[in-house]
Amino acid sequence: MKGYEIFSKTMEELKLTPMFGNPGSTEIPLLRGVKDYVLTLHDSISVGMADGYAQYSGKPALVNLHTLPGVANSMASIHTARLNHSPVIVTSGQQDSRHAFYEPMLWHDLESLVGNAVKYFYEVKNGEDIERVMKRAYSISMEPPAGPVFISFPMDVVDENADYMNLPCSLPNTDLVDYGAVEKVLQLIMQSSNPALVAGAEIDQFNAHEELEKFASKLGIPVYTEPMSNRAGFNSESMQNAGDLPPATTAINLALLKHDFILNIGGEFTLYPYLPSPLLPGKKVVTVSLTPSYKFGEYITSNPKLFLNELNKFAEKKGDFVRAMDNSLTNLVARERRVMGVTYVLQKARKEFSNYVIVDEAISSSLLVRKNMGYSPRSYFTAKSGQLGWGMPAAAGISLKSPRVLQIVGDGSIMYAIQTLWTIVNYNLPVKILVLDNGGYTILKSFSGSFYPGLEKAPYLTFSNDILKIAESFGVESREADPDLKEMKWLAEGNSPKLLLARVPKTIPKLFI
Amino acid sequence: MKVLILLPPFLPIDEISKIISQILPDSEIITDINFGTKNSEVLVSTTFTLIGKELIDRMPALKFIQIASTGYDNVDLIAVKERGIMLSNIPIANKESVAEHVLAMVLAQLKNLMHFHNEIVKGNWPFLTNSMELMGKTFGIIGMGAIGKKLAERLLFFGTETIYYDIAKLSEEDEEILGVRYASLDEIFSRSDIISIHVPLTDDNDRFISEKQFDMMKDGTIFVNTSRGELVDEDALVNAIKNKGIRACIDVYSVEPPDPNSELFKMNNAIFSPHIAGVTVESQQRFITETVANVLKYVQGLQPLYRVSL
Repeated sequence: MKGYEIFSKTMEELKLTPMFGNPGSTEIPLLRGVKDYVLTLHDSISVGMADGYAQYSGKPALVNLHTLPGVANSMASIHTARLNHSPVIVTSGQQDSRHAFYEPMLWHDLESLVGNAVKYFYEVKNGEDIERVMKRAYSISMEPPAGPVFISFPMDVVDENADYMNLPCSLPNTDLVDYGAVEKVLQLIMQSSNPALVAGAEIDQFNAHEELEKFASKLGIPVYTEPMSNRAGFNSESMQNAGDLPPATTAINLALLKHDFILNIGGEFTLYPYLPSPLLPGKKVVTVSLTPSYKFGEYITSNPKLFLNELNKFAEKKGDFVRAMDNSLTNLVARERRVMGVTYVLQKARKEFSNYVIVDEAISSSLLVRKNMGYSPRSYFTAKSGQLGWGMPAAAGISLKSPRVLQIVGDGSIMYAIQTLWTIVNYNLPVKILVLDNGGYTILKSFSGSFYPGLEKAPYLTFSNDILKIAESFGVESREADPDLKEMKWLAEGNSPKLLLARVPKTIPKLFI
Repeated sequence: MKVLILLPPFLPIDEISKIISQILPDSEIITDINFGTKNSEVLVSTTFTLIGKELIDRMPALKFIQIASTGYDNVDLIAVKERGIMLSNIPIANKESVAEHVLAMVLAQLKNLMHFHNEIVKGNWPFLTNSMELMGKTFGIIGMGAIGKKLAERLLFFGTETIYYDIAKLSEEDEEILGVRYASLDEIFSRSDIISIHVPLTDDNDRFISEKQFDMMKDGTIFVNTSRGELVDEDALVNAIKNKGIRACIDVYSVEPPDPNSELFKMNNAIFSPHIAGVTVESQQRFITETVANVLKYVQGLQPLYRVSL
């Protein structure tokens, strides 16, 4: 078999379909056998789609990028996949190795370019490499922490002859439990005067929501969601839900002030911005994770779901925490209605999109998106890196697996990967898009207002685009929300892609301490 | 960086120490101003402690004073200026509290609550009332800063005509959102059923509401002062209460605490509170948060907010 045939056969055997990509001349030789290909009109969109697809399905997804320019264009998205623990197999073409010495156009040392954004890199040397490197990359991408891997295919190598070996492809064992630590954790909880739990993204990744809720309910203690979690945190409807932790050290410390023991299950605290307080001084912190980072406190290497199962066998009542009900929400919605406030818009969205996957890239409104739309299993995704231009591609990728996807995006962030609309329309992906248009980079205005006052008025933080016209030019049915927000129902109707734009207030919220 | 926190002893020091240990563990909290000398670069205090020249002189490394309050009358501004020390207050933490306090006083006046309370306590059961609704009244706000805006927001739901004066007119969009109309001071004094002042005290506005302004007001106007006592000529106010039936709601006084024998306190159609409009459990929490945030800004090398011009 030719190398490119081995490539497509391995793809099919591993069910690595579709391939997301944006090809160039260096990729064409490799693509000759590929049947299931999703075209994106910018390289980074391919990676974002694969990231969403992989996270939602829990399986690796395949991307093909156009050598140096395509990889360089996608670096932010590859880094996001790394931080999202998303098993994305990135492939790219590479210049014909027979004249690589001359550093021809499009040639580059791709390994140095991708650097530590991927956890495995290999440039195939011959036809025999292709099957084995793809299976190795598949396994490594799933090894905790799951993340992107990279395979480079020189143009000439894919025409080499080799046999298809039917090699095995192993999946890593993620069913690891430190049984010896179970009793210790329970003791720490019972000995503590006021313990708290923190739910991290691994709860969603390993589908441990039910186990965590059971544990929290048995103990009767609060569960916070880790700061800026990139996936659904603790079930918002649970009576033990204590809400999201803020991302700066001082604010985290204040939120957890009354607790002396913190059991962090599957969380990797994202910090921003820098504040001079140390992180959780004087507190006992234990993290249970399959991917321990050893950044603070003690670590127990375990699958969160299985570890919680063990804890649940012995857990006893420790507290009587019950979340405070937000009794003023109805009032807030009524007040915000007159100015198309974000909470008003999101509460309307919540009614129509209660069972949808939310992909959040409404940066200055993200806290409100989380609070109003709520967390439930596989219900919420955002970029852990803080990258813009990830959300719409990820929503498109998820929509290949789920027909109910709502992307909530800001007027600033939507412009980073606006061409995704072409892919959404071309493949008739059922993505619904809600744009919260506040006329600029409000997150930066808020940041400036807190730390560099005056700069929030800088003209380069304010702009406007006719997003409705842009979306319509791609063939996406688009409407602007009227004060009654009747269009929210319209947005939810049918499976065709639609966009609703809500002009929310331009007032600058205080988002930083 | 050394941070000294100087607090009055009646505050819950143990609780505050716990919070500080989580924020700036190296800070020192004291309640006694007789501390000899201190090498701290930052001093955090409240309005309850006199920050005079003598105290400042005992802190040779002092570069930044943060007062955890709106007011900073307790700080010797000349000494601070001479030493080139930065001074910040927290002007934004109590705006909701003050706005609600204004409404509480105004509603108490409109609804005759003091009268009813006194009558019932005396064993009477009054059948008649001249209570009025806030809805439909003209509410004049002088000073459309943070507190003025919060007050205007709340008035939206009472259905008042809200007019305002400020040295800086709001944008048309902001006026539309708040449902307010810009008016001259004369119009505010002459047309309003209720007038509330929300301006800082400056060298130029001492007693700026005096006999002339009270003369312009309609009989029975409700007049609210939660800003600074020195903004109002108290003798003129007493005369206006007596002669024009002005209904006063007073939280601040030219001298605090005021003379209990003052003529002002003999007035029946007046409600008083002890300069406490901004003090609520919630506002105290915000003062702590904002104070912490501002000190952290200084500690990490940024310019603190709310700098007092010296």
